[in-house]
Amino acid sequence: MAEFLQHILNAIVLGGTYALLGIGLTLIFGIMKVVNFTHGELYSFGAYMIFMFSAMLGLNFFLAIILSMVLGVLLGGIIEFALLRPLRGANIDTTMLVMIGAWIVMQNLEQLSWGGVAKSINHPFPLDPLVIGEVSVSWIRVFVFFFAVILIIGSYYLINNTKLGKSMRATFQDRDIAALMGVNINRVYTATFALGSGLAATAGALLGPVFVVTPTMGDMAALKAFAIVILGGLGSIAGATIGGFILALAEEMGAGYISSGYRDAMGFILIILVLIFRPTGLFALKERYG
Amino acid sequence: MSRWISILWLAFLFSIPLWMIDLYVLHILINTGIFVIAAMSLNLLLGYTGQLSLGHVAFFGIGAYVSALVSLGFDLELTDTYTFVFDAKPVWIAFLSGIIAAGLFGWLIGRVAFKVRGAYFVIVTISFAEVVRLVSLNWIDLTEGPMALNNIQPFTLGIPNLWEMTLYQKIPNYYLVLVVAIVCYILIRRLVHSRIGRAMIGLRENEPLATSVGVNVTHYLVIATVISAAMAGAAGGLYTHYFRIIDPDIFLFIYTVTMVIMVVSGGKGTLAGPIVGGIIFGLLPEILREFAAPEMQWIIYGIAMILIVFFLPDGIVPALKNWWKNHRSKRTDSAEMDAGT
Amino acid sequence: MNRFKSIALVLAGTVVASVSFIATANETIKIGVSQPLTGAVAASGNYVTQGAQIAESFINDAGGVLGKKIELVIEDNKSNPKEAVATAEKLIIRDKVSVMMGAWSSTYTLAVMPKLMEYGVPMVVETSSSGKITTSGNPWIFRISPTSQMEAKSFGTKVDQFKIKKADFIVVNNDWGRGASEAFQEVLKAKGISVGTVETMDAKATDLSAQLAKIKSSGGDTLFVTSGVEQITLVLKQMKEQRLNHQVITTGGSSSPDQLISQAGAAAEGSNHLLFFAPWFPESAPNPSVATKFVNEWNKRGHNFAGLTEGFRGHDGIMTIAAGIKAAGKNDSKAIQQALWDVKVKGVNGNIEFIKQGPAGKESAQNVPNVYVVTIKDGKIALP
Repeated sequence: MAEFLQHILNAIVLGGTYALLGIGLTLIFGIMKVVNFTHGELYSFGAYMIFMFSAMLGLNFFLAIILSMVLGVLLGGIIEFALLRPLRGANIDTTMLVMIGAWIVMQNLEQLSWGGVAKSINHPFPLDPLVIGEVSVSWIRVFVFFFAVILIIGSYYLINNTKLGKSMRATFQDRDIAALMGVNINRVYTATFALGSGLAATAGALLGPVFVVTPTMGDMAALKAFAIVILGGLGSIAGATIGGFILALAEEMGAGYISSGYRDAMGFILIILVLIFRPTGLFALKERYG
Repeated sequence: MSRWISILWLAFLFSIPLWMIDLYVLHILINTGIFVIAAMSLNLLLGYTGQLSLGHVAFFGIGAYVSALVSLGFDLELTDTYTFVFDAKPVWIAFLSGIIAAGLFGWLIGRVAFKVRGAYFVIVTISFAEVVRLVSLNWIDLTEGPMALNNIQPFTLGIPNLWEMTLYQKIPNYYLVLVVAIVCYILIRRLVHSRIGRAMIGLRENEPLATSVGVNVTHYLVIATVISAAMAGAAGGLYTHYFRIIDPDIFLFIYTVTMVIMVVSGGKGTLAGPIVGGIIFGLLPEILREFAAPEMQWIIYGIAMILIVFFLPDGIVPALKNWWKNHRSKRTDSAEMDAGT
Repeated sequence: MNRFKSIALVLAGTVVASVSFIATANETIKIGVSQPLTGAVAASGNYVTQGAQIAESFINDAGGVLGKKIELVIEDNKSNPKEAVATAEKLIIRDKVSVMMGAWSSTYTLAVMPKLMEYGVPMVVETSSSGKITTSGNPWIFRISPTSQMEAKSFGTKVDQFKIKKADFIVVNNDWGRGASEAFQEVLKAKGISVGTVETMDAKATDLSAQLAKIKSSGGDTLFVTSGVEQITLVLKQMKEQRLNHQVITTGGSSSPDQLISQAGAAAEGSNHLLFFAPWFPESAPNPSVATKFVNEWNKRGHNFAGLTEGFRGHDGIMTIAAGIKAAGKNDSKAIQQALWDVKVKGVNGNIEFIKQGPAGKESAQNVPNVYVVTIKDGKIALP
């Protein structure tokens, strides 16, 4: 029983950051129709930034998280402006290839500037875990979880209650009509990509201190984010949030009770099952011909 | 005229081993050739039906694994008392088995994945490739997982004295890859000019229209996937018996990326595109190796990808075709003007 | 038609370009090195390469070999078996090296091995641990690193001091982790110690909480960890989070305890590590002067101290090769292969000499290296 509860607790804590990764990607995916392969690199970028600010420059830990977030937003904006804006109207595989190229370049720039050796970041939380009955969880993970939840709620509010969010939703529904109605599509796109990238960078900045930071850390994160997006449906924040928790739960239970070797297959097996039995997706807003 | 150039081009390819003393170049050409075959097969799907599969390496890897396993033989403990023993078979049977297995898998994936399109299809195909990779990694009784299947027989059999056999190994392998590539090329050319091919292109151009005139969409997409998967399986079989080792890294995403960039840079939906793109992106890493630091090689590779997509979004072959057309029409224009004076 | 012309042009151009790259004859003796310098295991490959470069300058400062300087030709195998084959082809054919060192992971080494047979070039294997490498009948293999079995056997002589009753395993899901778990289980079972749960983790996995929760419920008292230092760090930190109080023993020699202390902090306290070189105590190595000289040079070059436990492999590999060339009396693959069988090298790990392994008539060479155990005590490395 203790093991089962521990798996559940782990899944909830992990699900928060998965959701954060998924939301960023699902917005970009849904609104811009871009298969964003740089998402994982934004994640590792955020982790390296908090390493630089917190571990190297000795800034306050929380300030370092905020700075990483801001820089992630900026970098996302730059990528959109430099690589995606000139390709507006190009088909999905063209932009995807550019994103793959950018991913390869960014990952190797990271190795060039930081080296391949893993970096570790100290955090101000106590090492001894928070103990609840028979289960335990570290304080840093508790912090990461709540920070992620706040960001998820914030994104939800942004999309549903602001003018920018309204433009984004309109663009998601129908780009051409939104443009006719006076929505500045370019601005919406840049904002979407910057926001999504910022969320990925924040996930990296939050998890960097929990784990270790390496140039290839983003690969796995990107794959998981893709799985979450498919589970949750394109462009749906609620879907991505639930998708993140489902994936975390499937992985924990899969590793705990089936085989740890197949832990990372769980997300993909879920996708395939969803497709066979419910091709419209768990929480699809639109039919799956994105 | 066109026929003569084809013949000259083929003669050139066939003559390479006769004058190319540097075996390293031959190795690069074999390696490139294997990936050109894979890229041609991907082109059938990506270029002619417009479906971007990012799991193509799964077919490649399945062809490779099945071919390796059939040629090595294996035994599977199905129950405690019954063990299924599969004896080693000759390499050519193994090679064919790999092609058939990849084709069957293509059929399976086609049935499931074509329920969705676009970005969803992309992710679903990635998922398939990842699941297959993780199965190959964890089904240790069959695949030896990360311990790799090694000592796979090469294609050339014969002289028991290993030293002499290996000495002549590259040249027959080169011809083998070349012949398989030519067969695939001819098959694809016949296919796209057939009724099936026209239906596929119709799908790419306008799926709703094609559906409305009675084209059975899924049917044709599945046919294309099966053929494409079988060819990728053939490339995998060539890989496995040339490199003679196979491990779950065969399913690395970067191989799919390599195939896609070969098709797109060369020109998707053109017959020569994957060949041109394949040669460029097959040779580029080897040329970079000579003068760039390891990370820089990758960075240049990535930048080359971005630049090609940016400036030649349709690929090199269509761009050259247009240039040639303009060039010619200009020449005829000026010729007419000359005649007028 | 025009497309064929364009293809022909492109191909002809690239072939001409490639041919012109052929290296010209050189005054130095070239030694090929294939290591993962980019990709998943780049950190380790770079350490080994740094160690190899130190050996290169030691040898050249002492006048080189056969009156010539040696020159390392270092190629990146990109953490990928296909690329490992490409590096071997390039080193042997293009750079015309007579002997190689490589290729870190067992998979890369296994991939290169048919090439050694094909061209008849010996290779000193500095890191790989898979038993297959020396038992598959490749007479061009000279391995200085221990197999997992050798490491486990050596650990077997020290096992009593750990007072293990039931052991659990968490290993990286590759040949190295799987091999180690099998070999150590065998040794433990022979000693009457029971084995609980065996968990694997993907080489890139960072969240290991599921595996650890399962281990916690198995009721063992000792956890064997086999992976790179990054994942060991994660295992230690997350054990602490889940209040998993197993005694920890890491195997494989890649644990780099200094990095663990700086990165896992208090979580690393009390963990034990099997190593093939203990750079904190070079004076107690079998060849103190060799070890001290190497450690000093490593520090002088400003390399990461934590990398020494990997870097020494490169040093010992190149020293072995240089001794082989010297004994052969000429820079010739066949002669070096024969000579390597009889070399005796004072390496950082210990004395390197080869015994025969594998099928009769085409045996591979295997060195029997030393294995050390260190413990992290009060934030410092100590001999237990």
